[in-house]
Formats: sequence, structure tokens, C-alpha cells
Amino acid sequence: MHPATPPTTDAPVGRTHRTPLPRRRLLRGLLVATVAAPLMFGAAACGDDGGAADPNAPVKLSIFWWGGDARAKLTEDALALYTKKHPNVTFEKTWQANQGYFDKLATLTAGGNPPDLFQIDDNYLAEYAARNTTLDLTSYQKSGKLDTSKFPESLWQYGVVDGKLAGLASGENTQGLVYNKTLLTKHNLPEPTTGMTWEQHIAWAEQVTAKSKVPGTQDPSADYKAFWVWLRQQGKDLYQGKDLGFTAEDVTKWFELWKGARDRKATPTADVIHEGNSSDITKQLVVTGKSATSWVWANQMPDLKKNTKDELGVIAYPGDPSAQWARASMYWSVFRGSKHKDVAVDVINFLNNDQEAVKLLGTDRGLPSNQDLRRVVSDDTTDPAMKQSIAVEAELTQKFGKSPQVPIKGHSKVRSELIKAAENAQYGRATPAEAAAQFIEACKSAIA
Amino acid sequence: MALTTAPEPTRPDPGPVRHSEGLAGYVFLSPWLIGLMGVTAIPMLLSLYLSFTNYDILTPWSEVQWVGLANYERMFTADPSYWHSVRVTLTFALIAVPLKLAAALGVALLLNRAWRGVGLFRGLFYLPSLLGGSVALAIVWVNMFNRDGAFNSLLSLFGIQGKPWVNDPDWALETLMVLAIWQFGAPMVIFLAGLKQVPTELYEAASVDGAGRFRKFRNVTLPMLSPVIFFNLVLETINGFQGFTAAFVLSNGTGGPVDSTLMYTLNLYITGFTDLEMGYASAMAWVFLLAIAVITAIFFSTGRFWVHYSDGEDR
Repeated sequence: MHPATPPTTDAPVGRTHRTPLPRRRLLRGLLVATVAAPLMFGAAACGDDGGAADPNAPVKLSIFWWGGDARAKLTEDALALYTKKHPNVTFEKTWQANQGYFDKLATLTAGGNPPDLFQIDDNYLAEYAARNTTLDLTSYQKSGKLDTSKFPESLWQYGVVDGKLAGLASGENTQGLVYNKTLLTKHNLPEPTTGMTWEQHIAWAEQVTAKSKVPGTQDPSADYKAFWVWLRQQGKDLYQGKDLGFTAEDVTKWFELWKGARDRKATPTADVIHEGNSSDITKQLVVTGKSATSWVWANQMPDLKKNTKDELGVIAYPGDPSAQWARASMYWSVFRGSKHKDVAVDVINFLNNDQEAVKLLGTDRGLPSNQDLRRVVSDDTTDPAMKQSIAVEAELTQKFGKSPQVPIKGHSKVRSELIKAAENAQYGRATPAEAAAQFIEACKSAIA
Repeated sequence: MALTTAPEPTRPDPGPVRHSEGLAGYVFLSPWLIGLMGVTAIPMLLSLYLSFTNYDILTPWSEVQWVGLANYERMFTADPSYWHSVRVTLTFALIAVPLKLAAALGVALLLNRAWRGVGLFRGLFYLPSLLGGSVALAIVWVNMFNRDGAFNSLLSLFGIQGKPWVNDPDWALETLMVLAIWQFGAPMVIFLAGLKQVPTELYEAASVDGAGRFRKFRNVTLPMLSPVIFFNLVLETINGFQGFTAAFVLSNGTGGPVDSTLMYTLNLYITGFTDLEMGYASAMAWVFLLAIAVITAIFFSTGRFWVHYSDGEDR
């Protein structure tokens, strides 16, 4: 009789055998929606393509680089200058430290959201070019939209991978051995000079350790760029086509050279060497005061100088300096799927060939690639550390040898394996020969 | 005629009401459901697919190649650094997890008393685990256990010559273990809650029977606490296997020095994001998932021999 009773008794029964259908339908609907949503957004994003035809249409270009505060400031200024000249183009700027940069870049690429324009170096250029992630800039170069006429020939060619111009050198640098001048002067020790042999360098370092109680030189056996220079002095190379350019005997000799140096106390102990093996500028032993030298790139001088009160000097790596070459310190590359390829290429051209922009950027990414502007910048610069790195590079330019090929796919793994093998020897866990065999084995699978 | 019968019109139509209630339910559920699908379930299934491919992050999906079991084969037969990372992870878990649980239980026993200010101590001991797997904490740790870190300064007070703990391949992993053990607060709090549940009559009865402190602990506390121990053991083991942040920060993302801190998850990360072998990394992730599932299953199947539930319902 009570109107409320029937429904309440009825309800649970109804619920149990009624809901399955809508629930299933709903779940399916939700699933479809979850899967479809990104697709639809993706499709919508692709729809923008048509708008690029109007040259004055507003363009927002995403740009990504690694570096410190100083580089960020300079780059932002140069980009602001571009916006001033092309008011329709604005930038979405992202930058971070080198550590983790390439993880982030890979993740952005995988997410289908890579920056239009990004900074890259020879450690990764082939990885990206081989997978067709970078835009081939050859046609822009041919049409003159990307002007490389003032570049040294070998410099822009160092951006060619498999016949494609995968990145444009945003500066030139070369290996630089940085030493602590203040420390040497204080202890009345001679400064090292370009052209010393490796043995002479180690003997010099031994003397520094003995007199100053600061280890004379960082042990660079884990450093691929030092190994590379040394290899070239032996008539070998890091890579030969798609293969390694060296053998296990070469590696053994290299590791033995530095085992000798460690035994003579020319270097710090293994744990300190390990600290210095980090690619982080602030951890380089020459600025942390744990060694009198560090093995770096010459354009890193100003950055190193910011981390120490001591006077620094820079020379070439030991041995014949013709084993060094005009290396593209880093490149600008354009994402192949970018919606604003033409604008992105124009920005690269601007950053390399516009006098004002190049003067703003200075030598932060290496010596300017445009040789006319390089002269202007070196005449203008007032930063003493920058002057030093310009001087040593200008001197070495006369002696540079032929550029090697751009490191191949798998190179980043080869680098980390070298660190592993060298540290195994440094900590005394393996003989040089064992470590060399381990390294060769790992390299083979890395570049396979 | 049926339509005009008295009860029918007053009866609220159950169909649409229930339907809209159900819909509302799903709407309220949707943030979680979409999260589960989008962030967990679908990516997991995709990674299962990827584990059979040569996906390298940069190559578009359309060009990814099916490689069958090659990734799994490589893992088990041709990758020494994979097995090295398995060894490192097992060593870490086998030492750090029992010690952490022992520390948690020990401190919980001490704090399970009515001392003045015991609440403050509970808070203080719990604090480190609130910081969890934070990067800042790992950085502090690195600086504390450096050659010129606080720990060595402390040792030098006693005339002991310290080591560069974090930069020594023989000690780096141990430094990470100490960090993990130090964060015993979470299991400790759970142990404390468990200890409070042990009925005091049991202790009284044991006292009457002449049991000493150790007997009481051995025959009353431990059995009564065994479900909590079991819970903590399972949870901490899984946590131990997944240790990543501290190893990543301590080694600058390399697993160094000389691979001494190359935990499984760190190796997986390096393989996927640095070496760009995401297909292979996905295979590693699935083997890892299965391994943890097997270990957990082993715990559950052996649990019935030593875990005592006071009443049948808890089973």
C-alpha cells in the first residue's frame, strides 16, 4: 500500500541486472574518447599548416638550447633583435643545463612536440640525422636563404651527415687544455706550452704535483676528445666510415700512458678524477682547485673563468696540434616536422650572419662561424677570458688538420663506455689491457 | 487498463533514474578513470608492444619495426651490463630492506611507550621518510659523504681517515643503502600502529605464566605483529627494487663510479633516454614487472607459514 515500499525493494534487483549494459557501453565510450582525444588534437594541430603562406602572419617559434645564465641572456637578446626586425615572429624559449638536455630533447621528440629550432652537438647530430629528425638544410643553402659563403668550408661540412646538411655550425671551437696560471706563478712553475709531447706534459704535471701539492693534470683517459686527438696523432681516428677507427692495442697504449701518469702522481686519485669526468663546467678540477689542468673545449674558457678567482690559461692538447680541427662547437638544427621551417631557417641565418646579432652573441658558442664577423667580434671583445680563447684558436687555425667525419650513431654510448672502461683502470679494478678489451667489446655493440 | 492502476503512476520510474545516477557516477569517476587509462593502462600496453620492436624514440611510430623476441633474447644472453644492474639491485634490496625494517621495528618498540615527549620523537623519526625520494635529499647526501663532506669531518674527530664514499666504487652503493635505511619512518609508523593493536591481556597472561621480556617479544609481539611485518616487507621490497632518484643524482645519471650504482631502473632509464633504445628498455620494464610480481607471489605463498592473523576475517 505504501507507495514508497515497492521501488525500494525492487531497486537492488533492477540495478544488478540492468547496469551491465550501460556500463559496458560507457566504458567503451570512455575508452574511445581517451584514445581519440589526442588523435583529434593532433589532427587539429596539423590543420594549422595552411596558414604559413602569409609572410606577415604571426609565428611563434619554439627554440631550445642548453647552457648557463650568460648564454641565456645573450641568446634572448639576439632573438629579441630578430623580433624587432620581424615583429610577427615571437619565440617560445626554453633552456637548461647540458646535463639532461638530450634526454629532454628526445622526450619532446617522442611526444611529437619537438622545438622548431634546437641546439645540438656532434655527439648527437648523427643520431638525430640518421633518424630523419632534422631537416636537411641543403636546399636552403643552395638557394642562399642560408648563407654559408663566409663560413670556412670545413666548418659547415662538419654538419653534413649522409650527404644531408643536418645542422648549421653556430660556432667554431677546438680542444683546449686549461691550466691554473695563479697556482703556477705562486709556486714558480713554468706554464705548459702548445706542442709539448704527452710525455713532456706528464713530466711537467709530476713536477707541479711535487711542488704545489695540487695534482698537476686531470687524467683525461676517460675523455673521448683527448683520446680522439691522441688517436689522430697516431695516424688513427675515432671512426672510420661506420666502424671504429682504432684497435684494442691503441686503447691499451692510451690507458697505459695514463696509468704511468697516475703512478708518478702527475694526476689526482681515482675518486677525484671521477669528479672531473663529469661534463659539468662547475665540476672541472681546474676550477674546483683539485688539479692544475682540465681538458675542455677552448670556447668554455669564459664559463670556467666565472667559476674561479684564479687566472687561467689555455693551450692546445699535447702532441702535434695539427691533430686538432675546426670543430663545430654546436649546431642549430630545424625539426623536420616543424610548421615554420622557413622562418626557423631564417632565424639560423640571422644568428650566424647578422652583424648585430653575432656581436651580441660573441664567442659564447665558439668563434663566430662567419669569418668576416669573427674578425669584428675579436676586435671588439673586452672579456679577457674570451680574448684568450680567441687568441689560442686564431693561433691554432694556422695548424688545424683536416676535419674528421661527424661521429656516427651510437657515439654517445661509446663515450659513456670509454668513461666506464677508463675508470675501471683508474680505480685499479682492471689492467689497461683488460679495460681496453672491455671498451672495444662494448663499442662494437654500441655502433652495431 | 494497466497504465491506470493505482501503484504505477506513483512509482518513480526506476530505469532513467538509475541510468542517470550511474552516469553521474562515471562522471565523478572520470578524472581517475581517464588518468588510469591515459597515464597508466594505455602507456603500459603500448610499452608491451614496444618491447617487441626496435623503437628508438626519434623514429616515428609508423616506421617502427617488429623484432619479435630479439630484445628479450639480448637481455638474457648478450648484455653483461643488464646482469650487472640486476646484481646491483638485488644486493641493494637484500641488504637495505631487512636493515630498514629492523631499524623501523626497533625504533617503533622504543617509541611505543608512554614517555614524556615521545610524540616529538615519533615526528622526528618520521621526518626523513616524508622527504621521500627527493632530489634535494640526494644532493645533501652526496655532499655529506664526499671526501670533504660532513661525515668524514665527524670521523676525523675520532682520528679516523675517511673515504670518498660516494666516489668510491666499493662504497657508493653502501652510501645509497644507508640513505634508504635512514628513511625508515614510514614502516616505523605502521609498526607503531600495529604494536598498539596487540591486546594487553596477552602480555598480562604471558607475565602470569612467567615469561620474560624476550619471551614476550618472541611469542606475543612478533606473532601478533606478523601481518604488519608482512605488509611492510612486501611494500619495502617493491620500493627497494625501484630505487632510482638517489642513484641517479649521486652518479649524475650514469650509474657510476664504474657502474657501482647502476640500479635496474637507472639502467632502464639510460637505455631508453640516453642510448635511445626505447624498445629494449620497454622489454626490460616488463621483465622487471614480472620479476616483482613473482617475488611478491613468493612472499604471499610463504606468508601462510609465518603470518598469523588473529581472526579469520582478515585473511
